[in-house]
Amino acid sequence: MASIELDRVSKLYGNGNYGVHEVDLTIPDGEFVIFLGPSGCGKSTTLRMIAGLESISSGDLRIGGKSVANVAPRDRNVAVVFQSYALYPHMSVRQNMAFGLKMRGTDAAVIDAKIADAANLLGLQSLLGRKPAALSGGQRQRVALGRAIVREPAAFLLDEPLSNLDAQLRAEMRLELVKLHRRLGRTIVHVTHDQVEAMTMGDRICIMRDGRLVQAGRPLEVYADPVNTFVARFLATPPMNLIPATLQAAPGEGLSVLTDSGAVLAVPARHRNAYGERVGRRVILGVRAEDFHESPDKPDWQKIAVRVVAVEALGAENVLIGQIAGQPTGKDDARPTGDDKPLEIAARLSRYFTAPVGSTVELYIDPLPMHLFDPETELVIARPSLMGATR
Amino acid sequence: MTSMDRNERPAFRRRFGLHFGLIVVCAIVLLPPLWVLRTSFVPEQLSYSNELMPAFTTDNYSALLSGRFGQSYLNSLIVALGSVLLALPFAATTGYAFARFRTGGRWARFAVLATQMLPPVALVLPTFTLFRSLELSNSLTGLIIVYAALNLPFLTWILMGFFEGIPVDLEWAAMTDGATAWGAFWRIVLPVSMPGIAAAGVLGFILAWNEFLFALVLSGPKTATIPVALAALQTSNGVQIAKVSAGVVLAILPLVVASRFIQRFIVQGLTFGSVK
Repeated sequence: MASIELDRVSKLYGNGNYGVHEVDLTIPDGEFVIFLGPSGCGKSTTLRMIAGLESISSGDLRIGGKSVANVAPRDRNVAVVFQSYALYPHMSVRQNMAFGLKMRGTDAAVIDAKIADAANLLGLQSLLGRKPAALSGGQRQRVALGRAIVREPAAFLLDEPLSNLDAQLRAEMRLELVKLHRRLGRTIVHVTHDQVEAMTMGDRICIMRDGRLVQAGRPLEVYADPVNTFVARFLATPPMNLIPATLQAAPGEGLSVLTDSGAVLAVPARHRNAYGERVGRRVILGVRAEDFHESPDKPDWQKIAVRVVAVEALGAENVLIGQIAGQPTGKDDARPTGDDKPLEIAARLSRYFTAPVGSTVELYIDPLPMHLFDPETELVIARPSLMGATR
Repeated sequence: MTSMDRNERPAFRRRFGLHFGLIVVCAIVLLPPLWVLRTSFVPEQLSYSNELMPAFTTDNYSALLSGRFGQSYLNSLIVALGSVLLALPFAATTGYAFARFRTGGRWARFAVLATQMLPPVALVLPTFTLFRSLELSNSLTGLIIVYAALNLPFLTWILMGFFEGIPVDLEWAAMTDGATAWGAFWRIVLPVSMPGIAAAGVLGFILAWNEFLFALVLSGPKTATIPVALAALQTSNGVQIAKVSAGVVLAILPLVVASRFIQRFIVQGLTFGSVK
């Protein structure tokens, strides 16, 4: 059994900077966990600490319930697949795969049988005699996986193993890895900066930033209920639109959001209780690109005027880049991007949408999935989740 | 005149100038060794003649090899090979420690390089005194130890650069695969570094093969190496230029043959770190 527990694990470097800061996480046996974050966020360092390749400055790390803080990598029974694949260049594919078993004194006949099984699983049978230099990127990636599989480790640690593959191969290997996880049932920790991998592969994603674990949860939960603006923007392409605004009371018992560009958006009734305390205060309105629509299919969708800056045709959909039109309020100090560029929003529309650049079009926002964030802390203002709720 | 002509003319002039320059440089570099080769096949009494090939003989070679020169040749081989084999394991482990574990930090790296700044002549007399009391003077063992010690910093420096170019992922993979740190070095790093180690070995061999000062002071008639034996051809009767030429040709022969075979390794070895 190989649950992995990180108990306030930190990595402190000699210059006083934290590579990883007090990460608390329990990965149950057999779970497929994704560590997601931008470059330098500490996700690979965390993985290497689990593998034993980096020492832990403070905290404790347990694999299968036992503390492994002082256990050598070879005794942790984990296998690592590196971004560079790290295949031994002077050995054939067969020797690469046999290396770990040989180091553990496995019987030659058993080694042969395990290599045959893994080669069969990964389609490497015809490549066993080749050296890594004679393999394509995808084949190398499979060999690196095969080398990990034959050892039957308690956990697989994958450090951006798909990032060197082309888009098509990456999509195939994504699926292969998910299938592999189902078949082997082992714990997998997968480090990536690719949101698609994060959303599609794992049971759970852990988003890291500046060495800290920002949010962990099921992919769709994290997508629907981000804890702060960083997660909101990081986990989607195009990122969530963050629009500086003020929360104000509307006629009756309603609330509405007045954006700095002068557009007004009524807050759905089910969010009123959660946001009620913030009336009159500055907020950041978060609207996902897919919550903009070309036509009012539902009665509660609200009209908004957008001046077209560009339309990106992606084939399956068109992404409109535009500026929200309205009566500017003159409050633009809370612009989340912090630059002088006028705030631009991105809207995912159908592939049939067209509009000339410079024109103003009417779009409809589905307000229900919206979020409000505190402009100072960038944390989400909590409201009841829509996950599992019927509309 | 078409635009193509206008473009081609300066290109032709530039190429002609480049080739002319290269030919002149090649002539300056190659003529002396070619003249040495010519002189080695000319009888001693005609060796200073201005003619290209006044007569042909192999007597210079046979005279050299029948005398003590043959023994010196063997001595040089033993000393150069022995010193490289003695120095390489130390250089490889030290270079790896510097490269991977930053042992000693920047100061230690500089200290290794600093030893190369000392003029050899400052070391030769203390070494002689020390070796005489250890009864290592006038012995091939003594020369092997001296050359290994003299070349160690240089070889360490070369191998350090080479090891730094090897991705640490390889060692990490080996260590999670069940190897110890030493096992990862022995089974993965060393085999992968073979081109670099071969390059370092050849450079160490050449340095030892050509060394003169220590060989002159520490060797005797039976333990003389080639540079010493060549110097001995300059006798009170004058310089036997034809024999010296034959000796020079024989001396550089193994280096030419070796470099032909291992050129690939040297280039790969010296560029590995920077390219990776």
